[in-house]
Amino acid sequence: MSDETKIDLELDLKGLLCPLPMVKVSQNIGKVEVGGVIRAIATDPGAMADIPAWAKSTGNEVLQAEKVGGEFVFLVKRVK
Amino acid sequence: METYLWITSVWGIYLTAVVFFGGMAWRIYQWATTPKSPVRLGMFPKPKSGAGRFGKLLADTFIAPQSAKIEPTMWIFAMAFHVAALGAFVGHLRLIREFPLLPAWLGEAGMNTFAAWSGSIAGTLMLVGVLFWIARRTFGPYKNLSVPEDYLLLFLLLGVIVMGDHMRFVYGGVVHAATYREWFVSLLTFKPEIPAELLASNVGVSLGTHMLFTDLLLMYFPFSKLVHAIGAFSSNLVRSE
Amino acid sequence: MDSTQLTTLTGVIDKKMNRQLKQYLDICARCAICKDACHQYVGTGDFKYLPARRAELIRQIYKKYFTKTGEFVPALYEARDPDENLLDELYDSTYACTGCRRCMYYCPFSIDTAWILSVAKAILIAAGKGNEMLGQLADAAIFKGDNAEMFNDVMVSGFEDIQEEVRAITGNPNSQVPVNKEGADILYVALAGAHSIRPAAVIFEEAGENWTISMFEAANYGFFYGDVEKARLITKRYIDEAKRLGVKEIVVPECGHAYRVAEFFYEAWSKEPMPFKISHILEKVDQYIKSGRITVDKGLIEGKVTYHDPCQLGRNGGKFEEPRDIVKAVTDNFVDLTPNRAEQWCCGGGGGIVAMEEFKDVRLASGIKKVEQLKASGATVLACPCENCRLQIEELNEVHELGLQVWQVIDLVVAAMPLKGTKPTHV
Ligand code: HEM
Ligand code: SF4
Ligand code: SF4
Repeated sequence: MSDETKIDLELDLKGLLCPLPMVKVSQNIGKVEVGGVIRAIATDPGAMADIPAWAKSTGNEVLQAEKVGGEFVFLVKRVK
Repeated sequence: METYLWITSVWGIYLTAVVFFGGMAWRIYQWATTPKSPVRLGMFPKPKSGAGRFGKLLADTFIAPQSAKIEPTMWIFAMAFHVAALGAFVGHLRLIREFPLLPAWLGEAGMNTFAAWSGSIAGTLMLVGVLFWIARRTFGPYKNLSVPEDYLLLFLLLGVIVMGDHMRFVYGGVVHAATYREWFVSLLTFKPEIPAELLASNVGVSLGTHMLFTDLLLMYFPFSKLVHAIGAFSSNLVRSE
Repeated sequence: MDSTQLTTLTGVIDKKMNRQLKQYLDICARCAICKDACHQYVGTGDFKYLPARRAELIRQIYKKYFTKTGEFVPALYEARDPDENLLDELYDSTYACTGCRRCMYYCPFSIDTAWILSVAKAILIAAGKGNEMLGQLADAAIFKGDNAEMFNDVMVSGFEDIQEEVRAITGNPNSQVPVNKEGADILYVALAGAHSIRPAAVIFEEAGENWTISMFEAANYGFFYGDVEKARLITKRYIDEAKRLGVKEIVVPECGHAYRVAEFFYEAWSKEPMPFKISHILEKVDQYIKSGRITVDKGLIEGKVTYHDPCQLGRNGGKFEEPRDIVKAVTDNFVDLTPNRAEQWCCGGGGGIVAMEEFKDVRLASGIKKVEQLKASGATVLACPCENCRLQIEELNEVHELGLQVWQVIDLVVAAMPLKGTKPTHV
């Protein structure tokens, strides 16, 4: 799926400790249009719960949350 | 002048007493009947024993060691003012009864000299304290913190002190405590009268104005920030909760 | 101003009114002794950050709607409506406040400005002006609590990864990060970040502790946001978990506000007595070292070490000595900051301010006192428990080129433990 999705913004969140990855995604979501997608790469495993929980409670959508090697890759779509 | 004195120094005082004591009682009643915060608001270090808490309460309220550490200049002036105010208050008790022991030791003339000295020192310290506060409020970089209430209180206070000092420094050698006592005790026994000596010189104007400012200050007291005079105890106690 | 809005906002004050608040609002002498206590006022000289000014905004509403004199002669107190102007200033002064309560420490009446500002937050939230970021963080935490099963697998797999790392550090293939262990003595409620779990797990395992890890984090953005109900729900997640697992004790991580919330606030929020003993992790570690349950070697940490008291742990939590004793157990080269303990300067990173981009400038400016203290100490290593403090001090470290190594205390401990495995480099 990630191959076809158009990425509007890349966020490098490597090395940031939770909850900062979630904070950064939230701060940057306004920078893409509604329907736009952010790709965020984090290294803190806590982000695997944090970012999806943030998306659910703010009404945005996580298209992908995957562990790739030692990194966690998220595709977050701005819904509203 | 007689009318002026009757208004400010007789009926005004009765009114003031009612407003002041009623207002303070009402303020304390309000505090006492508002439920306590469910969250403990104490901070550390915190004495463990009840006695320790009580000791800390007294030290924090009367000496304010932390305030002394952070702003020594302010602390010195505030201390000078409050201690002098306490001294002046004690001195005013001579209006009710001559102190025991002291006159016996000092003799009548000695007592008048002692009163002149202590009253002058207290009166000067209070004046200096209030002038410092006015300057600090008016010229400090945080002058916008002050509201009219602050200036009103300081103005009334200045009036009380200046007129009190006026009586002390100008008429101190002429009119002595016994004369004022006659007037004050007559108020306390609800048979108010104004002694002829007070009407004989211009001291009556000074006394009337001293009392005018005092009446206004004390009537406003319970509705102003000066309720810190009692509130300080319970709020400082919360610190150790 | 709009009368329904006015009723709502004054209603908030009415609902929040209590004796302490009333006294604080009645007795402040506006003497401004608190000004030099506040790192934000000292760092910026901006009037809106003067502690008594922050409280004054609430006092202005209080005077107008809760006192007769203020109602009849509002001008005397500059009493006014909670209109847009007031709310805008209130927003800045309230959400910027780190809740350090240094102003309270120095005030001659011990006025708790941060407590007054908790009412300010409730007013702002009721006016629809609560800080969005803190609100989102709080909601995300509550969502995790309500949908625990949804996150179970990722959490468990995260803990398994951490367990591998723990084994590599201890050199013991049996080291564990126990999950959902019923009958454990201790429930350790960490932060979401692995860095708060890994070293703690090493220490618990080496001490032979009967512990289990919580599915939830101890951080509480509902508290920073200023919504008591959200804050309660966030804490309740791990209280319920502790009840379910039947533990005896809840241990919170180094993070300062997490301890204060569990130890001082939760009982009042939930209106029930706390059924568990609450301990701060550094209390436990201090006991382990003193009783010999874990060993630490001096000399493994290089350089002069100093310690920063996080406000919520020190002045507001009472843990001054335990962390110092730990640091002194791992090094002979310890120097305290001046001032320290109850008088310690706030670093400027508390109260959730690190999550709010809009306050970045004041946050960095407010760190100047901490920077001066750190420079004066001549230390090269800083032991600093609180997560928020560390984020702030690391940024100050970079901006001011202090060349400090900033460590969690438990990382220092692990680095000083003679373990068979590979030493982790510090986060
Ligand atoms: C017992 C503990 C008390 C403490 C810690 C205390 C402290 C203070 C402080 C810090 C100020 C601020 C000065 C300023 O900048 O304006 C002040 C002012 C003042 N206090 Fe007190 N006070 C106490 C008791 C009293 C009492 C018993 C009185 C009784 C008359 C009193 C009367 C005043 C007055 C008249 C002012 C000047 C108000 C003004 O600045 O407008 N205080 N006090
Ligand atoms: S130090 Fe206390 S009394 Fe003085 S202005 Fe500050 S909060 Fe008010
Ligand atoms: S609690 Fe701290 S940040 Fe807030 S006003 Fe007081 S000194 Fe300033």
